[in-house]
Amino acid sequence: MDTKPYIQDRAAREFFSLLERGEFRTTRCRSCGEAHYPPRVVCPACLGEEMEWVDLPREGTLLAFTQQRDAVRCRRPEVLGLVELEGIGNVFTRIDAPLEELRIGMRVAFSTWTSSDGVALHQFRPPRA
Amino acid sequence: MGEAYIAGVAMTDIGWHEDDPHDMGARVCAEALRDAGLLPAQVDGLISTPHGYMADTRKMIAQRMADYLGITCGLMLDVDSGGNSTSVAVHIARDRIREGKISSCLVFAAQREAPPNRIKEDIVGHFHLIKAANSLYDSYQAAYGLISPLPFYAMAVQRYMNLHSIPPEDIAGVAALLRAHALKHPQAAYKEPLTVEEVLASSFVSPPIRRLECSEMHDGAAAVVMVGEELARGNPRAVRIAGMAEAHDPTSFAPYRGEISRFPCVGRAARAALEESGYALTDIDVAEVYGAFAGMEPMMYEELGFFAPGKAPEAVREGRTTHGGEVLLNPSGGRLSLGHPAYVTPLLEFIEIVRQLRGEAGGRQRPGAAVGLVHTEQGFINGSIVAVLDKGR
Ligand SMILES: [Zn+2]
Repeated sequence: MDTKPYIQDRAAREFFSLLERGEFRTTRCRSCGEAHYPPRVVCPACLGEEMEWVDLPREGTLLAFTQQRDAVRCRRPEVLGLVELEGIGNVFTRIDAPLEELRIGMRVAFSTWTSSDGVALHQFRPPRA
Repeated sequence: MGEAYIAGVAMTDIGWHEDDPHDMGARVCAEALRDAGLLPAQVDGLISTPHGYMADTRKMIAQRMADYLGITCGLMLDVDSGGNSTSVAVHIARDRIREGKISSCLVFAAQREAPPNRIKEDIVGHFHLIKAANSLYDSYQAAYGLISPLPFYAMAVQRYMNLHSIPPEDIAGVAALLRAHALKHPQAAYKEPLTVEEVLASSFVSPPIRRLECSEMHDGAAAVVMVGEELARGNPRAVRIAGMAEAHDPTSFAPYRGEISRFPCVGRAARAALEESGYALTDIDVAEVYGAFAGMEPMMYEELGFFAPGKAPEAVREGRTTHGGEVLLNPSGGRLSLGHPAYVTPLLEFIEIVRQLRGEAGGRQRPGAAVGLVHTEQGFINGSIVAVLDKGR
């Protein structure tokens, strides 16, 4: 993958290259077993530095959503949202559905989407009727 | 520990400025020193901030001003903590003065950004600024092309309105009231009245936030002169900072854990500042609150403790936060209508409270105002600073 200026740190480079292969993963500390999102190279719980990559849940709950009118790289307007993954936390993501079809609290599922500069990003969408 | 006071204040009009930020800064420093009755030789500390988020930012701003004004001092610092920067500066200066390490400190900020319309006319020429705006966020947020935190605020307001069944008219009403306040402020960026209907007729920029519910980024400069007991003695216009506290949450912009519409740092800072001051929230006559969007204002009023969760919008509608109400909130017009040069904003808030407590706030004076509060924040309210001010002694 090309180096993009906004993909800054080591764990982020790995996270986005895994997404390119459709894998949605984060780091878990080998010492204390805690999983973190976003992924890290150090564990905030025990300060350990040995990490393994584990799968993230591919379904979550839509906490909030909006539309971004002005942005770099993404199509406009872009629907964005905050999705809660059980036991992990909140993921800021693209939502692959029109605003009017969305409700707070609905279940949404993971997929990938490629931005205009060719980077694979995660997105979530409600189940199709 | 001694006491620390604000003895001199100055600000430019808020809007778009052609002047170099160094010149704007020098002028407000001079005016604030004249207001305090001090000369540069009496300044013992100098703290400033960058000239903007996307400005072609110079470094070591305070040092250049020390040279320019001939200031020999015992504290010098450029602070970059986003919207809190000048509030951090006031906090540090207060502590150093109270410890007796310095006798006075000049805190100033001058912001000048490239105007958004100029950026839109020449996207390619300004692409480095757009990239700088994007680089505020971590990889997992920046990858979605963010150039402002607006989508985070929109999601917070959405959940707040949803949880408490707040009608859009009540949020639009906050913007209209802040404009009414600003019309009494001769230095405010906005000079025209604004109605609830006009706010609701403006387009969504990031739903549920509408265009006229946003603060715009502006230029401007401001300075405050802080002094210890010795230099405040015999100066009846010196205003005391009776309590001040800073609190941060372990988040950077959108929270990866917890509720996006709650901001615990605000209440922690407020409670600690009030406790140090010896005042209760009910003693506050007037407050300047950092709300960058109309929907964020009532959330901040509630986090500070002025109203129960979900109750601030009706308090605003009933006139309880304006002239004649139980507490006067954002008499300056706030970030929405005074204008919002973010690095300067905390100083504008302190200046409004100083003017109110001195009885020098003109047509927007709260009669008999004796105790005031300033609230500032950084990022997406990831951190907050609260100060409680009184007439001292
Ligand atoms: Zn660990």
